[in-house]
Amino acid sequence: MNNILEVSNLSKKFGNVEALKRVSFSIKEGELYGLLGPNGAGKTTTINIISTISQPDTGYVKINETDLKNNSIECKKSIGVVPQEIALYNELSAYDNLMFWGSLYSLNYADLQNKIDETLSLMGLSDRKKDKIKTYSGGMKRRINIASALLHSPKILFMDEPTVGIDPQSRNLIFDVLEELHKNGMTIIYTTHYMEEAERLCDRIGIIDHGNIIAEGTLDELRETTKAEESINIHTENSEHINKGKIEQIKNFLDISNGVITFSSKNSGRDLPLILTELNKAEVGIQQIEIQKVNLETIFLNLTGRKLRD
Amino acid sequence: MLKLAIKDLRLIIHDKRAVILTLFLPIALISLFAFAFGGIGGGSNDANPISIFISDQDNTKMTKDVISELDTMKSLNIKQIAFEKGKAEVKKGSRVALLVFYKGFKDSVDNGSSPSMELFYDQSRQIEAGLLQQVLFSKLMGIVGQKTIKKSIKKMIEKNNPDLSPENLTIIQQKVDEQMNNFGKSDKNPANNSLGIKTTPVFAKAEQNLGLIQAVAGTAIMMLLFTVTGMGSGMLMEKEEGTLKKLLYSPIYPTSILFGKMIATIVVSIIQLSVMFIFAWLAFGLNIFIDFLSLILMILTTAFACASFGIFIASIAKTRKQVESYSTLIILVMSAIGGSMVPLFLMPAIMQHIAVVSVNYWGIQGFYDIFWRHLPITDVALRALVLVGIGSIMMLISIKNFKKNILSIA
Repeated sequence: MNNILEVSNLSKKFGNVEALKRVSFSIKEGELYGLLGPNGAGKTTTINIISTISQPDTGYVKINETDLKNNSIECKKSIGVVPQEIALYNELSAYDNLMFWGSLYSLNYADLQNKIDETLSLMGLSDRKKDKIKTYSGGMKRRINIASALLHSPKILFMDEPTVGIDPQSRNLIFDVLEELHKNGMTIIYTTHYMEEAERLCDRIGIIDHGNIIAEGTLDELRETTKAEESINIHTENSEHINKGKIEQIKNFLDISNGVITFSSKNSGRDLPLILTELNKAEVGIQQIEIQKVNLETIFLNLTGRKLRD
Repeated sequence: MLKLAIKDLRLIIHDKRAVILTLFLPIALISLFAFAFGGIGGGSNDANPISIFISDQDNTKMTKDVISELDTMKSLNIKQIAFEKGKAEVKKGSRVALLVFYKGFKDSVDNGSSPSMELFYDQSRQIEAGLLQQVLFSKLMGIVGQKTIKKSIKKMIEKNNPDLSPENLTIIQQKVDEQMNNFGKSDKNPANNSLGIKTTPVFAKAEQNLGLIQAVAGTAIMMLLFTVTGMGSGMLMEKEEGTLKKLLYSPIYPTSILFGKMIATIVVSIIQLSVMFIFAWLAFGLNIFIDFLSLILMILTTAFACASFGIFIASIAKTRKQVESYSTLIILVMSAIGGSMVPLFLMPAIMQHIAVVSVNYWGIQGFYDIFWRHLPITDVALRALVLVGIGSIMMLISIKNFKKNILSIA
């Protein structure tokens, strides 16, 4: 399949802060690509550049083989953006909001009306379409926020952390909608700092940290390339009295934060007794032991030496 | 662009508070100012009479004649009172002033010396007292001044020409009396003063009311400026709530957002001004059809200038709070110096020169040209042209600021 999006050597500085450092990646048509990274890693800056509202210092972006810099209006017609914040007019109804946002893409009135009905049905909000947005719950607003980006049937949908601060029911509904759109062949770029979301939804994942893509691939490929190991998380009782220096000398030590000591392990069954013996010697009281199989969290930890939410 | 403007108009229609502030509050204020400026009540331009006390301690035929002459003046409302009581009442503020004819008033006039009278006035009502002095002394000069002058002239001639025969003195005196009696005799207009200078208002026509025009034009423009800054700050609200960023994702040029906002603001401005004048026509009988074409021209250009002002304020501010602070300050200053709050002709000359920097001035003067001065559209067009110029300059600055401040969101 062709690359529908090509991002090459994007750099962006805000004052002295380098938000992006020669970021490059490409996405094939129909792919659901996850851009994973902690807050401040450069996800939103990347999305802002790709969605044309920010200019890179260097590098270029091609959308559907059209250069973004030379033909931004044409590129904008091919993309739909679901921003992190809920960007709707509270005084207007859901229908009026969608009518307005859809009208900016020069759809004819009848087509737009059909598309609004179809999208509202997809979002499970047909019965509330005449209600003002200000009467909606946070989750419902998020769904309308997504719906407003789908009306012109974009070739690529950018979703910037669309599940922040919403209830589990709305989150699951959004996942279902995304899977449906993906199944129908839409290309989606999904930024998140939730590992489980990226694991559930994405075909490929780019891990971004400090403005760099530090790894990219399918979950299996990432496991393979990073040689990620299981992690053993020890929740301690008396975290304030722990001798950090002694703990850091224990074999396979990775991280200690908030009273949780993390070790990496290729074989937790074999390594755990040894770790417990050492912790006992260091007089660490143990509250709970948690063994985490290889996932994005452990991959990120392995790549950066930090937990994703640090 | 039009879609953006229509969206903004729909947002206003859905916002009951905005509708009230845009239409009903200005109507209420216009009514209030129309009362304050004497614009309601039969279309008369006469001011209310000034009430004064008179204390006649001389009690002669001359003082009685003077008092009865003053009583015929429409601009005065007089009441006779004892001296001490009158002074106390003026002190309490019940009347503007107390005019006292002291004992010996007649003799002083007959002798050609300074008339023995005094005016006590309430210092807290100096403006009324100033007007009163002008009215009162011009009248008194007409009544008693001539007698005093004639006596003074006679005394001077006698003193300087001791050898003059009584016959010649009588002839000279008769000539002087004749000239003085003829002085101002052609004066049939009650507005004429004691010097016989004929004064005729060149603008006023009985069918229009200056107070009402001032109330409608002044208040409408001031309230419009508040409305447009509110709408301009809508752009910052869009920035704060993320809808501006979302608009930038869509396939429109960024300046379309600014022009869309501008169109909506102009439409609201035109509606607001039109409603104000229609209200003044229906409620107070302001003849808005006197020169309808000029009125439309002034409404359109005032709307454009005010809308540009609203967008301009939004473009120099970074937050809605800043817009509120800047706009309140600037609008109040512009309205004060531009003649929205106090009619310009009541202000000192320097203020009248400074007024030209305000949108209010050009708008109000344009409406004066139509309703009061009855100038042709070619003259009104000059004011309109200035408003278009002011609006265009502010619009150009806004476009520059918009790119710099509003679009710096990513």
